[in-house]
Amino acid sequence: MRRITVILTCLFIQLTDGTALASPVDFENQTITVAITQEPPQMNSAKATDQVSGLVLGHLMEGLVRYDRRGRLEPGVAERWEMTDEKATFYLRKNALWSDGKPVTAHDFVFAWQTALKPVTASEYSFIFFPIKNAQQINNGELPADKLGAVALDDHTLEVTLERPTAYFIKLTAFNTFFPIREDFFNSKGDKYAANADDLLYNGAFIMTEWKHSASLKMVKNPNYWNKDEITLNAINVDYITADTRARLNLYTDGKIAFTRLDGETYKDALSQRFRIRRFTTGSVFFIEYNHRPEKVTSNLNLRKAIQHVFDPDEMVNRVLAVPGNLRGESIFPVWLNGVEDKFRREYPAPMARYSVATAQQYLDRAREELGGEIPPLVLLVSDSPTATKQGEYMQGLMLNKLGLDVKIDVQTFKQRLAKMTSGDFDMVGAGWGPDFDDIMTFGDLMASWNLNNRGRYNNPAYDRLVQIAMNSTDPKTRMDAMGQAQQILFDDAAVLPQYEQGIIYVLHPKVKGVVRRVVGADPDYTHAKVVP
Amino acid sequence: MSLFQPDANMFERLETQDSAEIIARPSLSYWQDAWVRLKKNTRAIISLNIIILLAIFTLIGPLLWQVDPALQDLNQVSQPPAMPKSALVVDPFRGWEGITIDNYEPPADYADSVPAPTNVRAEGTATTQAVRIAWDQVPGADGYNVYRNVREPTSFADLGLPLGATYGDELSYEDRLSLEARDYYYSIVPTDGLDEYEVFTQLVVTPKLAITRDEALERGLIDSLDAVNIGDEVTIEFHPLGTDYLGRDMLARLMEGARVSLFIGIVAPLLYVLVGIIYGGFAGYIGGRFDVLLMRFADFVVALPFLLFMILFKIAFGIGPGESGIIPMLIALVLLMWPATARLVRGQVLQIREEGYIEAARLLGAKNHYLIMRHIIPNTMGVILVTLTFAVPAAIFTEAFLSFIGMGVAPPTPSWGSMCNEGVKTMLSHPHELFFPALFISITVLAFNLLGDGLTEALDSKMRSRD
Repeated sequence: MRRITVILTCLFIQLTDGTALASPVDFENQTITVAITQEPPQMNSAKATDQVSGLVLGHLMEGLVRYDRRGRLEPGVAERWEMTDEKATFYLRKNALWSDGKPVTAHDFVFAWQTALKPVTASEYSFIFFPIKNAQQINNGELPADKLGAVALDDHTLEVTLERPTAYFIKLTAFNTFFPIREDFFNSKGDKYAANADDLLYNGAFIMTEWKHSASLKMVKNPNYWNKDEITLNAINVDYITADTRARLNLYTDGKIAFTRLDGETYKDALSQRFRIRRFTTGSVFFIEYNHRPEKVTSNLNLRKAIQHVFDPDEMVNRVLAVPGNLRGESIFPVWLNGVEDKFRREYPAPMARYSVATAQQYLDRAREELGGEIPPLVLLVSDSPTATKQGEYMQGLMLNKLGLDVKIDVQTFKQRLAKMTSGDFDMVGAGWGPDFDDIMTFGDLMASWNLNNRGRYNNPAYDRLVQIAMNSTDPKTRMDAMGQAQQILFDDAAVLPQYEQGIIYVLHPKVKGVVRRVVGADPDYTHAKVVP
Repeated sequence: MSLFQPDANMFERLETQDSAEIIARPSLSYWQDAWVRLKKNTRAIISLNIIILLAIFTLIGPLLWQVDPALQDLNQVSQPPAMPKSALVVDPFRGWEGITIDNYEPPADYADSVPAPTNVRAEGTATTQAVRIAWDQVPGADGYNVYRNVREPTSFADLGLPLGATYGDELSYEDRLSLEARDYYYSIVPTDGLDEYEVFTQLVVTPKLAITRDEALERGLIDSLDAVNIGDEVTIEFHPLGTDYLGRDMLARLMEGARVSLFIGIVAPLLYVLVGIIYGGFAGYIGGRFDVLLMRFADFVVALPFLLFMILFKIAFGIGPGESGIIPMLIALVLLMWPATARLVRGQVLQIREEGYIEAARLLGAKNHYLIMRHIIPNTMGVILVTLTFAVPAAIFTEAFLSFIGMGVAPPTPSWGSMCNEGVKTMLSHPHELFFPALFISITVLAFNLLGDGLTEALDSKMRSRD
């Protein structure tokens, strides 16, 4: 008996010791341990499209410019820049080095951009270069890559000729796809480029020293980074890769990771454990996109108007999603976008439909007349996440109870949903759009007739014209006026049904300071984080 | 000597007797006997009663509890079972303009520290429609964060849910986030537009349960808008078993779900047991090479994966997105689940076929169909009934499982399985959403299993009672 007690005591001590020692942060060595939601699918900056790759790349690489913690532009590899309607010239700092000690030159940027534009690369983000002269033709295979309007005047001067005046061009260059790639290294790796930790060259604040696929990765401070004195963290250990929010909250509670996002269920646990909960608006807008193809009933304006008049985004946010942080969806332009002087949405308030079942019924009657009788069941395409299906069911109930419209919910995986969206196999689809750069155009051209992400093929020449004006002008007032009118047109046409602006809540270890949440760029950004005692 | 000549008078007529004295127990048919023995099995009888109650619940229940199972009541989301409640009637919700400062000048620089907000107050009557919080401007601050907690905060790190943030010129916040009639601790924290200053002021608010007059009319709680005045109370919809995550009535959904679950649970086994009887009967009765052939085919069917076929049927039947997968599920069950019954019946038939009385009947000239109808089928009935009672819970379980993984019913039609699937997501915070459908599945499956056990014993002819 005594022996058992002794063993048990030993076990107990070990157990308690283990929990006491486990900490996701280390002040002495300035390291933190975090989890990411999935294995980064693509670490080649020319091809990466997803958020996780963007998050990891954002710590490892640096573009010409970067955003500071308040979302303002600050110099990156470029020390300074000049901008006119026709041209942007970047002066690169001489002390910017690759992780192997060689300098980062203007040629590395030109090579990266050309690579991303080559049709053979098939980068999904190639369109982001289109403000640069000849970029679109190169991407279409009509011109060779060396005709790109980006030229290295010398090792440290990069001159970019623009296709058209682009007010937000400088902001674009902070984006992943604009990160430099060194030609000799890229060619020496061939297909293996960015496949493993040592198949990449780094010029950012951190370098990746270890990448166990689907298990963990490790980033340590880059000794060659030009601004290394400003970096406090010595290492970021990504020890866990899991998308399961409950598992991540358990890891956080057990002191294994320093940060995790919460969802509608896990936040209640976090609350009862008295964790400090923080909130962040991701900047993404979620909306129901209608199919405007003529053969679909949703191409009928009155039907869309009817739905617009019974949908209450406030109820959606407060009663259905019921997670703090989400904002009412009132427009496809989220509240954080800057306008002329203030926020765009404060200068150009979004028009709102007044909730009224009676008005909706009138629209519906008109729609029935125009469509010649009863409206067939509508197919609502949603992705297979719990939140998305819940929203789908809410919409289904809303349209049945208030309008008597039959809705069928088509639940599909993310990829399958995208495929169906592209082929137009839906009446309505629960869609979302996240910003790529800090300018209104990242949302502005979404519904333009030429934009392939306009999956419902909405087409209004008046809207297209306004987008053209905003794209080609550099005068803030002209641009914002155009976008203000565009916002009105989208409302009048009920082109989409904005539902909510996504907000998230999360917990962060109290000893970690300086973690930046970003609407645009790597999020969360640990670059300037530090561990306090 | 003459022979004795009896005289008729010597004899006395006996009275006619219907029958001689009988020493025998009452004659019971096989079924009567089985029923007698089943009645002695308490568990089986309780189970049988439960099954009858379930049938009443499914068939008559919806007539008594006429609530639309698909009707959403977003005033009462995820409510646990409770007594009827009354709510305050309020004006239709209008977004609050809030309190803003005109000619607001943001602070020139980020202050190192600022005082805590003062005069934090609730504007108007706090109801579950909206709680409106306002405060006075804090010099040096360029924004405010609003927190809400369900218990008193112990420290700055324990303010609870971050509801939202305001700009520096906005001195109010309207909270509408799934409010319930309970105490809420609101905290206002000044910020410099991004970072928080570590000071806060707290306010306790207890919103009243409220419903707008228009909604009360829309939901049929009042007859006309004039029927009640603002400030009156109305009794809101009663949900005896609570509501789910979209405020739909759990009881109505359980009844509706029972239809799907019991339909699959009873129709599918009936069909596939019938297929199994015919198939196994043929194989067993004819025997020989034919039997071998049929049984190898049955083995082949056993090896087919059910889920794969379920998916294939769904596609083959052109079941579009958002349509119910119940019919393909039924077909897949019937096509793939019969071999077990077929084997059992075949074994039984093989055995009975060799019995003496069959031989005797055959010698007396009985034809095949007479033998099958008169002797073989009745003698296999026991096995068949038992298989059936065990097949029912298996089918209910299969439906529950398939609906759980999203292969079964299409929303908004509930089934017990799909309700479990939805309930499991909120298991910790709203356990009733998982508990009730899970309870119904468990009880049904258990009842059918226990009844099956009872029937096995009751129908076993070797156990025929001797008393």
